[in-house]
Amino acid sequence: MAQLRLLLVIVFGLLVLRLAQLQVVQGAYYRQRADQNRLRVIPEQAPRGLIVDRRGRILAGNQTVFGVALIPQELEDPPSALARVSDLVHRPADILQREYARAQGAAFLPATVVPRLPKEIAIQLEEERWRLPGVLVRAEPVRSYPLGTTAAALLGYLSQPTADELPRLKPFGIRPRELVGRSGVEQLLDHALRGRSGGLVVEVNHRGQQVRVISRRAPEAGAQVTLTIDAQLQSLVEEAFRLQPGAAVVLDPKTGEVLAIVSMPTFSPEAFTAPDLEAVRRLLNDPHAPLMNRATLGVYQPGSVLKLVTAAAALEQQLVTPSTTVVCPGSMTIGDRTFHCWYRDGHGPMRLEEALMQSCNVYFMHLGRMLGLPRLRTALESLGFSRRTGWPLAEQTGHLPQRRLTEGEVALLAMGQGEVLITPLQAAVMGSAFANGGWLVEPWVVRSVAGRPVAPRPSPRRLPWSAETVEAVRVGMRAVVRNPSGTGHGAFSPQVGIAGKTGTAQTHEPGRTHGWFVGFCPLEQPRVAMAIVAEYGGSGGALPADIARAICEYVSLPGTL
Amino acid sequence: MHISLRPSQAWDRGLFLAAVGLALMGGVAVTSASATLNPMLAFRHGIWVAIGIVTSLWIARTNYRNWTDIAWLAYGLSIVLLALVPVAGAARLGATRWLSIFGLSIQPSEFGKLTTVWLLARYLAGAGSPLPRRALWMSLIIVGPPALLVFLQPDLGSASIFCAIWLGMIWVAGASRRTLGTLAGCLVALLPLAWHLLKGYQRDRLLAFLDPSADPLGVGYTMIQSTIAIGAGGLWGRGWLAGTQNRLSFLPERHSDFIFSVIGEERGMLGCFGVLGLFGLLLARTARLAMTSSDPQGRLLAAGIFSWLAYQACVNMGMVMGLLPVVGVPLPLVSYGGSSMVAVWIALGLLQSLHRAERSDATARNF
Repeated sequence: MAQLRLLLVIVFGLLVLRLAQLQVVQGAYYRQRADQNRLRVIPEQAPRGLIVDRRGRILAGNQTVFGVALIPQELEDPPSALARVSDLVHRPADILQREYARAQGAAFLPATVVPRLPKEIAIQLEEERWRLPGVLVRAEPVRSYPLGTTAAALLGYLSQPTADELPRLKPFGIRPRELVGRSGVEQLLDHALRGRSGGLVVEVNHRGQQVRVISRRAPEAGAQVTLTIDAQLQSLVEEAFRLQPGAAVVLDPKTGEVLAIVSMPTFSPEAFTAPDLEAVRRLLNDPHAPLMNRATLGVYQPGSVLKLVTAAAALEQQLVTPSTTVVCPGSMTIGDRTFHCWYRDGHGPMRLEEALMQSCNVYFMHLGRMLGLPRLRTALESLGFSRRTGWPLAEQTGHLPQRRLTEGEVALLAMGQGEVLITPLQAAVMGSAFANGGWLVEPWVVRSVAGRPVAPRPSPRRLPWSAETVEAVRVGMRAVVRNPSGTGHGAFSPQVGIAGKTGTAQTHEPGRTHGWFVGFCPLEQPRVAMAIVAEYGGSGGALPADIARAICEYVSLPGTL
Repeated sequence: MHISLRPSQAWDRGLFLAAVGLALMGGVAVTSASATLNPMLAFRHGIWVAIGIVTSLWIARTNYRNWTDIAWLAYGLSIVLLALVPVAGAARLGATRWLSIFGLSIQPSEFGKLTTVWLLARYLAGAGSPLPRRALWMSLIIVGPPALLVFLQPDLGSASIFCAIWLGMIWVAGASRRTLGTLAGCLVALLPLAWHLLKGYQRDRLLAFLDPSADPLGVGYTMIQSTIAIGAGGLWGRGWLAGTQNRLSFLPERHSDFIFSVIGEERGMLGCFGVLGLFGLLLARTARLAMTSSDPQGRLLAAGIFSWLAYQACVNMGMVMGLLPVVGVPLPLVSYGGSSMVAVWIALGLLQSLHRAERSDATARNF
């Protein structure tokens, strides 16, 4: 018997040790496990921060969307509740049943069966709700874009994270069905725009049924983002494209603020939040790739707009003066190749102003040969070609030849042809440099986040150009528009003085060309610089010049910008 | 465990107070556990405690020898009841363990344990020491039928209690170490066979014990939730009616087999030590009776009750703390359940009667 008693003492000792282990050593851990058992969160979505233009006009906002959800644990008889909801919302019960089965999660979590409902029906349903226990009319903020397709490529769009992305996003509190910014500003500032979702902390029992509400945390709306864009100018430029694919950038040449950044065709970001799957599929399959911001991601051959840089470089190297005359016989032979001027009969004797005005190829090929590749490339690089502009969103760098070129290829490069690609944004930065008297600006678009200015503001960099050099090129740019025989006379406006340079870039499709216009206005104290490219839009003197005129006339109106 | 009360007292107060203390702690915990389940359970529990105590007091006033005289009858009756279970019993949780008599739901296995102790005490007392082989076989024949019937219900936990009772009693009755060693060897050899006889869910429970996280929502669930409840109680407990594992029903069978988890969660380590201390006192007093009694029958009776209660309490507490596989045995005097409650109180009444008889013997010798 004494042995049995001893055995008991030993077993009791073990039990005491186990209790000490569970309750003292690991007590905090098990306490936490117990809380994990019983506490759940019913999330409440925070409204996403507004994106507004420089004047506070809403580019991206929120609208309240009504929906119907069922709370499984409060539903006494799901089929009959579904049938009554089906009558009220005029939707077949079997579809609602399927949605319910798909959305059903924990017993206390509302499962959405109708994601969007007209307001009148929502109100009607809310009035009927006392008869429908477990049916919930939800009002949720959903991203909306009041200006429709305006600035869509800049703003970007939202969509649900993929299964791969979720683990990476989870630490930021992003749940599987939550929308995240996919491109543009929505993606760049997703964290600030998101806000903090709130929710109800509820206690649940072992069946996952809600027992009581422990606390509520109100959702915190996302921060407001103010852009440098002028929404009115933006939509004006978009309309001016008249459905022609292309891109345009309008900058403040003093600061680098982007006033408009257009990529055509544009799209409706609401297709993703609605979600309108058919529209989304159309967008993704569109050969014109509307989701891509062509202004920064599209690369084009510049054509004659690059002659502005050739001119400035040659003047700065004192290879020519504004009064140096070059005779254009209609062609130029370099080695065993003959290059024709676009005007086959020949422009005759030309000085810089006429050469720019007429966009004489022979004149600039001549300058290119004098400059040689190294000096020409240095000039192009100093203007930011083949480099990032500092744009905060995705951008292409374009391309400059890195290999040795033949003399003929150098001559072609001097007139913007051959192995050179630029983005419309880079072209606009180049236009700004002539508008502001020789400063290279860094384009930016986010003015402030939650009322705090985005610092540091990029400061312009001085180009190695004298005032005389810049002025000589500007004289030519003025003539391009003002002179009736200028290639850009289509941009002429009696209301405002406009300077510019057209370009007609060859494409890989023979006979089809991209049209360019790079310029600024007004002539004195320029307030905007711009670059416009129309894909397969013929010559720069046509649609691009029209768009430039529209921009400049808008800017010249009192009270704009 | 040397709490000595003067033997001159007619009552073993330590034994009685420890039992009342356990019943009180149990009552408080059952009230909390059943609050969200069925508040009537707490009321019924109280009634069973009262019936148990009254029965116990009545038996204490009688001579235990009168009861051992009718041991065969009591044993036979409980075998009949056990045999009736598969025929007329009510199935609950996949096993048939209850009999319904006059609207009362009784669990014959609880009375089976009591009457087996009772009969073994009587039989082994007359077998002489050291225990002859014939008596060993005979004792096995006494334990066998109820143990087998219980095993077939199926109730693995209770069947193992019969084994513990038997081993404890033949040890005290004077079985040699060699005999016990051989028995232990046979048991180990029989394990594969026993495994074969187990039901699927019983095997799952044993496997779940080895790795509860393998199936946290299935068979491992009970053990995980029970361990969480006890651990979450910490040193001081979360307070009466405030244990979330209990109140939100994460603990299964919390008013009966898992009542110790409720005590652990709501009363903390202090409450658990209270239960262990009271069991320690109760079993120490029982052990003392088993050692000091002059009557072999009384010694064996006390030893049998000791083996029964000690083993059952340790298995239950070990199980809820995750030290042993989940087998459904109640915590004596603490868990909800009328049959268990009354059977244990009857056993305690017999012990009191034994104590009284010893005291009067001693008094008689003194004069």
